[in-house]
Amino acid sequence: MSLPLYYYLAITAIYILMSWAIYLPYRVAHLHFLVVANMAISGYLAAYMVMTLHLSFWVALITGFLVGGLIGFIVAQFIGDAPTFAVVIVGFTFIYITRTVIENTKAVGGTMGIFGLPSIMGNPALHRWIILIILYSLVLIVGFLIYRFDHSRLGRAASAIFVDKNIAMSFGVDVKKIGILLQTFSSFIAGGCGVLYGFIYKSFHLDYFTFHLIGIFMTVIFVGGYRTQWGVVVAAPILYGLPLLFPPEVASWRIVIYGTLLIMVLVLKPEGFITRKLVYKIEKKLSYLIHRRGVRI
Amino acid sequence: MQVFIAQIINGLSLGSIYVLLVTGFNLLLLVAMIIHFAYPQVVVFSMYISWWVLRATGNNIFLGVVAGIGSAIIFNLISAPLFQKVMKKREGVDINTTMVLSLGMGMIITDILSHGFNKGLPIAFPKEVVGDTSVLRIGLIDVSNGQIYSLAVGIIAVSLLFWLLYKTRAGRAFRAIAEDPNGAKLVGIPLFRTALGSYAITGVLGGVTALLLAVLLGTASPGMGEQVANKVLAVSIIAGLGNLTGGLIVGLLLGILEAIVQGYIPGSWANAVAFVVMLVVILVKPKGIFGMKL
Repeated sequence: MSLPLYYYLAITAIYILMSWAIYLPYRVAHLHFLVVANMAISGYLAAYMVMTLHLSFWVALITGFLVGGLIGFIVAQFIGDAPTFAVVIVGFTFIYITRTVIENTKAVGGTMGIFGLPSIMGNPALHRWIILIILYSLVLIVGFLIYRFDHSRLGRAASAIFVDKNIAMSFGVDVKKIGILLQTFSSFIAGGCGVLYGFIYKSFHLDYFTFHLIGIFMTVIFVGGYRTQWGVVVAAPILYGLPLLFPPEVASWRIVIYGTLLIMVLVLKPEGFITRKLVYKIEKKLSYLIHRRGVRI
Repeated sequence: MQVFIAQIINGLSLGSIYVLLVTGFNLLLLVAMIIHFAYPQVVVFSMYISWWVLRATGNNIFLGVVAGIGSAIIFNLISAPLFQKVMKKREGVDINTTMVLSLGMGMIITDILSHGFNKGLPIAFPKEVVGDTSVLRIGLIDVSNGQIYSLAVGIIAVSLLFWLLYKTRAGRAFRAIAEDPNGAKLVGIPLFRTALGSYAITGVLGGVTALLLAVLLGTASPGMGEQVANKVLAVSIIAGLGNLTGGLIVGLLLGILEAIVQGYIPGSWANAVAFVVMLVVILVKPKGIFGMKL
């Protein structure tokens, strides 16, 4: 497999998973930017475990997931039912604190970062295939779990909280528990993604975990459509892939392009391109076609 | 002890900058009913415009000042229709949508500054502008003219704003909308036109803040806006969203805390300490110490 294709597929999968990690808490109107800090913490921890403690990649990956989930769970105890802006600011401050700690910690390379991570199974080509298999398996598993969540009572409760928290509470919805569940799961995904993100490049650097990353994920969610999980699946490959086709002088302005796209979509098509109505129409059409085929057989 | 006093003075001048930013942010929240997360980035953008005009006009300070304040007002007024369009209901603050919109604006501003000015490198203001001349020196305590300007202008600007809010007709209209938009509409106060006025006033505040930052720091960088934006939002939340008096107190306290920590702890750890304190307060009291005004 060519390197450009590998990077395209790998980063697209990361974008899908991380955008879902933000999409889930946003189901209850929480912009949970702590996920970027989770990526950095789990990623650097995994790199330290592999490079310094000589533990295997698999142990580091599982630890990354668990540490992400644990941090998300602990923080969610305080902000599970907090106002949106409080959740946003907790995320941002966590990112700053994480970056400062990493910058000043020599054990994880400080401002230089960590380079030269070993290939999984000692073979670069096998390493790339394993990373892709893990990433797309995660996409399928997480996608399935989100689909089941969206079509369950919990998903309906989350929708109620999004529309009006007070009315949801009066109907007996436990806002805090749902907030904790969604934030913990999203941090869990982010922890694993942080480990995989670094192992795609076989290095970790603070520049991988910046506020631009938040902007990119927000653009994917809102341009794709924040009311369903499918918007992310459609928007991530397009938004990541298109700037790669531009000439370098234009591609270097991609953050401006993303920001402009985000604003235009919010003003002109606030629900994004893949809306619930569209998904419902497609599901109906698909089930009709399947039913028709079934009857013929 | 001298270090402590010196840092208190530093903190007061830095705090006055935060107070101006938080006041502008809260004013937009109360009257225009938007969360303008990119407001500090607009201020940094004004600094860059001011710097560019100073360079183009051979350090003409008057034109630099006009450019700084003018660019902030123009940017705010241009963004007003975008915010008004995305707001679902004028009666309340649509936090999610306006915050996301302003995040988008912030991304654009930061990237334009990274690419379009000085090849992305930090800018430095000319010596005639920077207020680093020592006015009073007692041992380690060194008060510069920049610190005096920022404190004095901060006090004057906030006093003028409070005078406008509490002693003028326009201010009564602002307060009426902040209290009850429906009631304000009923008595004939035009919501959009009044909100536009708040954008303009916030633009003036932003431009003045940009000039004070130029005088106090002497430099600016593209990433400065994001860091300041985070602090401004944190201060607003700790004080209680929309709470003007609370924002004043907490803004000054944050400036003093940062300066004291910088005096005793090296490098970027000082910033982290300030963020940790803010994080703890928000986790314990997510609705603010003084209560929200929303």
